[in-house]
Amino acid sequence: MPATEEITESLLRDNITRAVGDVFKTMLGRETSLTSAAEITDQQSWPPLGTSAEAGRPHVVGTVGFLGDINGLLYLYLDLDFAREATCHLLSMTPAELEEAGDEVINDAIGEITNMTVGSFKNGLCDAGYPCKLTIPSILRGSNFSIEPISSATRQIYHFNCGGHRLVADILMKVGD
Amino acid sequence: MRYKILTVDDSKTVRIIVRKAFRTFDCEILEAGNGVEGLAIAAKETPDLILLDVTMPVMDGVEMLTKLKSDPALKAIPVMMLTAEGGRDHVLKIAKIGVRDYLVKPFKEDVLLEKAGRVIDLKPLSDTPSKAKSIFDPATILVVEDKPAIIQQIQDGLKHTPWKVIGVAAQGEAIDFCARTPPDLVIVSLSLPDESAFALFRLVRTNIKTKYTPVFALAVKTEVGQQQQAQTVGFSAIITKPIDLGELETKMAKAMNLDTSQRYYALEGDSLIMRLPENCSPSVLAESANYLKPKFAEAVDAGTNKVVIDIQQVRSLHMGVIKLLFQAMQTCRELAMQFALVGNPHIIAECKGFEDTRGWTFYDSLDEAKANLGKAAVAPQLASA
Repeated sequence: MPATEEITESLLRDNITRAVGDVFKTMLGRETSLTSAAEITDQQSWPPLGTSAEAGRPHVVGTVGFLGDINGLLYLYLDLDFAREATCHLLSMTPAELEEAGDEVINDAIGEITNMTVGSFKNGLCDAGYPCKLTIPSILRGSNFSIEPISSATRQIYHFNCGGHRLVADILMKVGD
Repeated sequence: MRYKILTVDDSKTVRIIVRKAFRTFDCEILEAGNGVEGLAIAAKETPDLILLDVTMPVMDGVEMLTKLKSDPALKAIPVMMLTAEGGRDHVLKIAKIGVRDYLVKPFKEDVLLEKAGRVIDLKPLSDTPSKAKSIFDPATILVVEDKPAIIQQIQDGLKHTPWKVIGVAAQGEAIDFCARTPPDLVIVSLSLPDESAFALFRLVRTNIKTKYTPVFALAVKTEVGQQQQAQTVGFSAIITKPIDLGELETKMAKAMNLDTSQRYYALEGDSLIMRLPENCSPSVLAESANYLKPKFAEAVDAGTNKVVIDIQQVRSLHMGVIKLLFQAMQTCRELAMQFALVGNPHIIAECKGFEDTRGWTFYDSLDEAKANLGKAAVAPQLASA
């Protein structure tokens, strides 16, 4: 059975770059570019947003898992301003209308953006011979995130520039059965 | 018939995007947040199309689809998957259960509409009577013609209208334009090279956003074969060169289903003004006659019992005009409305030359006619010269 160990970093990078590019271009009309990629090899807690002042700003984080021949989770980090902009664009709302609609609307929109991104990412892996299914999205809100992966997981962090905003995709994949 | 589309998705965002995509079409959007709700609404409303997500809480899309297809009452409802689940094997597995189409997220609104349009006959909202536009509303007219002089002629001829006339020289430019801004009417020259006018016509008709847009063919008067071909394929109208711009405007208004009554009838103060234009062609007279009785009745209903028939702009008197004026006067009598005529010296002189119109009394201006109507206690006699 194909396993996570067989999946190369370039396959992950190509798929996440394509997925982020497709979703943000199609749904939000924005171009994205990969600015950095990092493989986290130690099992220490690692701040996906880095340690800069930007990491301390409020963020909205979408999470969707994929289960099947490969199992994992993908976190998509957007700062709150970017999440608001994206929601307004997606739903054709003005900032004032969004303010009135409340945070639930932002959560749902970012959940769906994450769902599409992870869907597109994992569809590429399915077609490469690693079938898996999506889980239902969930949302986290906060700042200065720190994720401590389990010992049997690999972790890749990709930073993108999306029209001046930073977008971070943090992929955790379980190794072995 | 108003179509019902059921969107089943746990994401409110997707349901809003779907609602937004179909907002300009005459259809009702129903929403469900999971498969259980989806099945209940499908059984109650029998939608014409279901847009179905896969990954949902309570009951996922695959289970809902399986149950739907095993229910004799519901199995005929077409289902289109709209989901982020798009691996080849997954799509094949779902396709086997029975779906009409499969759209993988992220998706463009245009693609969703195009695919939905293959299942149901989506009609733009503007085609429905409640949304009828007036002759004074703006509209976008696309003229596809490789001869700039013709484009210029049409632009000049329609510049008194609120319509924006955009000229492009080739099929490709026209397609791009239609994709960006679906026009209200398209005029295509049949003399474009390689029969591209016909290719463009087919593309306009297959695009969901322009499926019902009127398309006029522009042809040289003597090119009878081309005109017949255009009629056969279904062009909305044929306009011959040299172009009669008055006729073109009338046909365009009719094709766009515009309310043109305001060209001829207007309520001004306590009077209804019936106004005929300079050139009273048969189509102008027919259009004016169509609105006559309803507009007079509408005025009476609104409490107006005075009519000023203004033919100052009319260039020459002919039987068509006389017949229409008699019809107007007769309608006034039937509705007990007072009326007065306003004409120019040439028309007044022409009236003196006909037995039937010799006795008509004219005023020189609208104000004079209105003032005299105000004084009159009863309707003036037609033949009181």
